Amino acid sequence: MGTAQASPPASARRWKRWASGALAVVLGIALGLGSAWWAIRGWSLAGPVHTGAWSTSTMSGHVDADMYTRARVAVGGLLALSRDETMYYVARADDSGAPLRADCRYRIEGAPPPARWWSITAYASDLFLFPNAIGRYSVNGSTARLGENGRFAVVTGPAQPEGGDFWLPTPKSGSLVLTFRLYNPEPGIVSTPASLAAPSIIRIGACA
Amino acid sequence: MSPPPTKRYRMGWALVVLVVAIVVHVLSVWAAPRLIMRKVFEGVPAASGTNRAFYPPMTSAESRSIVMPSPDLLYAIWTYDLAGGPVRVTASPGLDSYWSIALYSAASDNWYVINDRQAGGRPVDLVVAERGMMRSASAASTSATVLEAPSRKGLVLMRVLVSDYAKDSARYEAARRTFSCTQGPR
Repeated sequence: MGTAQASPPASARRWKRWASGALAVVLGIALGLGSAWWAIRGWSLAGPVHTGAWSTSTMSGHVDADMYTRARVAVGGLLALSRDETMYYVARADDSGAPLRADCRYRIEGAPPPARWWSITAYASDLFLFPNAIGRYSVNGSTARLGENGRFAVVTGPAQPEGGDFWLPTPKSGSLVLTFRLYNPEPGIVSTPASLAAPSIIRIGACA
Repeated sequence: MSPPPTKRYRMGWALVVLVVAIVVHVLSVWAAPRLIMRKVFEGVPAASGTNRAFYPPMTSAESRSIVMPSPDLLYAIWTYDLAGGPVRVTASPGLDSYWSIALYSAASDNWYVINDRQAGGRPVDLVVAERGMMRSASAASTSATVLEAPSRKGLVLMRVLVSDYAKDSARYEAARRTFSCTQGPR
């Protein structure tokens, strides 16, 4: 009986310590996983180098990439080419800094970049292509119509624009991610990617 | 003066949380690309058959295997495991537009790429080998470029730029199907 009376406080203390230690480990695991996911999600191929509304990482796909860049690329741009072969610029906001929305219309205007070939592709927030009736997902060096000033203009949005502008269809809801790919970029852009005269992204009118 | 037992206990508890969080954070970030590539290594042979290249259809909104697919490219993919010996990669697309063949490690790094300009109109002939196989691979492959892979498992990805697939599908398909990978003996 004496043992039975003395043991509850001791076992309760042991249990409390064990539970407290387990809670510390579980909390540490949760914090570790959460902070890792926070650090690598949502970046796609974007990075610390900015030009206009666009940003890029010079280390995407590169063997010398740090572990965060490598993880971000794996999650948001798996199998990217290294910068000498292709440079990727990503835009998630327009020139005013407002997040891109699929239900809004944007005019993307710029000069063909100093690269052998280029494209601008519209992605949903999950980084896959939007379904659309005309099966058009990008504008590129072959399909872009250049004006007399040598510049191209594209309009994104759910409805075909009037006036014959090149249309890049987007759905009536959700967010929008634009990726500007430069295949075989000129050495000047590879060495100083912020020097790219990136296309402007300007919202037109009210959203749908 | 040492802190009272309760305070010391709380500091120890917080330290455990911090150390576990840092270790899990670093391991997770390090492991993420390797785990994602492992899924790809399992997925490609499941789609194409073991030791066969996978030729996915032209990219569309239904292409949901790998994020940010380019709608302007036609792909051919092969995954390898050098445990079975060196891998020979050949292709002769014969196109005057952009194409490339890129090699990726098990950590997802693009460690080698050759494009149409670098090939200079000649067929691509590569031998991918592990460090220990390099000498025998070089001796057996006098005409091929012998590459030392940074990891035993990896992926080869061919990209073919397509301007109008509906119009020229036969030409583009013929070009990407020149892509071939074979595994030789150790």
